[in-house]
Amino acid sequence: MLILKLAFRNLLRNTRRTALTCLLLTSALVIMILMDGMMVGVSRLMVDSLTDTLEGEAQIYHQGFRERFDPSLYLDNTVPLREVLALDQDVRAFSERVMTPAMLASSYATQGVMIYGIDHEQEKAVSRIREAQVEGSPITKGSDLLLGDSLAEKLEVGLGDRIVLTTSSVEGNELVQRLFRVSGVLNFGPSELDDRLAFIDLEAAREMLMIGDGTHQFVIRFENRDRANEADLPLYDRVRNDQTAAEGWLKLQPSIGGMLEMTGFGRLILGLVLFLLAALGVVNSIFMSIYERLYEFAVTKAIGTRPWWIGRLIVLESLLMALASVAIGVLIAYFVGDYLEREGLGLGQMEVGGVVIPERIRPVMLINQFLEASWFLIGLTLLTALYPALYAAKITPAEAIKRSL
Amino acid sequence: MTEQETDTPVIYTDQVVRRFGEGAALVTAVGGVSLTVESGEFAALVGPSGSGKSTLLNLIGGLDDPDEGHIALAGMNLTSMSSAEMSDFRRDHIGFIFQSYNLIPVLSAAENIEYIMLLQGLAARDRRKRVDEMLKMVGLDGLGHRRPAELSGGQQQRVAVARAMASSPDIILADEPTANLDSKTGVALLETMRELNENEGVTFLFSTHDQKIIERARRLVWLEDGMVTKDEAPERL
Repeated sequence: MLILKLAFRNLLRNTRRTALTCLLLTSALVIMILMDGMMVGVSRLMVDSLTDTLEGEAQIYHQGFRERFDPSLYLDNTVPLREVLALDQDVRAFSERVMTPAMLASSYATQGVMIYGIDHEQEKAVSRIREAQVEGSPITKGSDLLLGDSLAEKLEVGLGDRIVLTTSSVEGNELVQRLFRVSGVLNFGPSELDDRLAFIDLEAAREMLMIGDGTHQFVIRFENRDRANEADLPLYDRVRNDQTAAEGWLKLQPSIGGMLEMTGFGRLILGLVLFLLAALGVVNSIFMSIYERLYEFAVTKAIGTRPWWIGRLIVLESLLMALASVAIGVLIAYFVGDYLEREGLGLGQMEVGGVVIPERIRPVMLINQFLEASWFLIGLTLLTALYPALYAAKITPAEAIKRSL
Repeated sequence: MTEQETDTPVIYTDQVVRRFGEGAALVTAVGGVSLTVESGEFAALVGPSGSGKSTLLNLIGGLDDPDEGHIALAGMNLTSMSSAEMSDFRRDHIGFIFQSYNLIPVLSAAENIEYIMLLQGLAARDRRKRVDEMLKMVGLDGLGHRRPAELSGGQQQRVAVARAMASSPDIILADEPTANLDSKTGVALLETMRELNENEGVTFLFSTHDQKIIERARRLVWLEDGMVTKDEAPERL
């Protein structure tokens, strides 16, 4: 095909310019793919951190409980809920919790905290409390208490130290006090967790609050996390009623949803800026090539080449450059992405929206990133080539010959 | 080559006017030229620089539009054609030879000749056969694989002649074809073109002030300030 041969050879006329244009396109593609991988990596990390640490992928709770964390808003009819959760095939594991604001008093200080009554065995499957434990042992007795390391520092307590927990019971609204021993110290990372949370045995908490078999939260993990945010999930339909609410993590933490949305928007903006810069480079390069060949186009038009054929040649030359850039860019992005997935990129520890981003961020490389960025680059290059192509197609032979001589 | 009816001139222009610029800078490059060129002529538009000969040649070749007047080529009115129709008409009826940089530099001599036939949609086998014929005709047999940069100026212009001939046009318009050639090469090229005119009956119209062409043309149309000042008939020569 002569037009293909012509386009290919035209690109080789000025190899330096072609190479620079391809380098520009390749760089934009590689940066786009890797940045996308990084953003997906950070997003996943944030969601993982959120759902794995304490919140779970979904929760069942009393209507209104999450607004004020009022201990009186507890689920009292828990047996049917346990049965539904145990039989639901989407549910991998669940855990029950009782929560109440309380005062912790050591021999040296007092601190207001949020107490979580937990079942240690159930929690293993839904949270990272066990992994966060940096000292001591898990809760095995009714008098065991776990607390965050910075809270322990403020209370000036260590393993084995006694500590008094004061709260008010739900039934009767009586002040209740109980002595606990520090059995373990936790470090989750985010200061709002390590400063304010303490964990005791589930039954001990129920006894203190006098709520019988009641529960404030069922924390759920699914076989497939993506299902958690399906509004019409059958599990939610089965448990929701006037008293009971059930929501996925996106509804539970709308700020994370907003951040993910912003990340998606950021990806779009970054992609557009990168590709627009590349597009400007391509337009410049194509126009330089057209101006150099003005006389040639005039002659080819004079001998009977139709205008659209010349336009098609320009577009084809751009397409060849885009294809070469995509081929090289995809290879580079694949190898660099693979390396970064293994080694990570050291950016220092950060806390974003209460979620700790570890020191080394690893991108998540997906086939879609390569495909989407490649199509985007090819499409944009072709779009960019349209104007120069139109310009070349409209060249008036007599004028171009006069200007060139 | 298309058969011309005996009573239809290859070129017919009627009071053609072409102006450039506006207001005080308005220049009339061609000021009402009426001209008829019959099939088989070997004619030249002659005149000093700025006399309007190249502009007139461009108008005749459909590369530019006249401000006034009518132009017909091979019996077809050029002024009423669309851009695409004009391209097809040039491809099928007119061969062009320009002063310099005439060929597509990234294509070989053979590919340059083949190019126009490709636009015409000829089959590959027919194209190759015609390319070989054309190369032989202009004395470049065996040099078809060379790119323009690997050919001398004279050889490049021969390829341009072959390309102009390849589509079997009614007329070949040559704008200063010898301007960039040395005297010996210029004469050789002109001899080739004259042979094509005499043996193949191809009509040639030159735009020139080159003495070599003036000496060989069988009709000279003298232009000055965009007007025909003298039209020397074949009998003179």
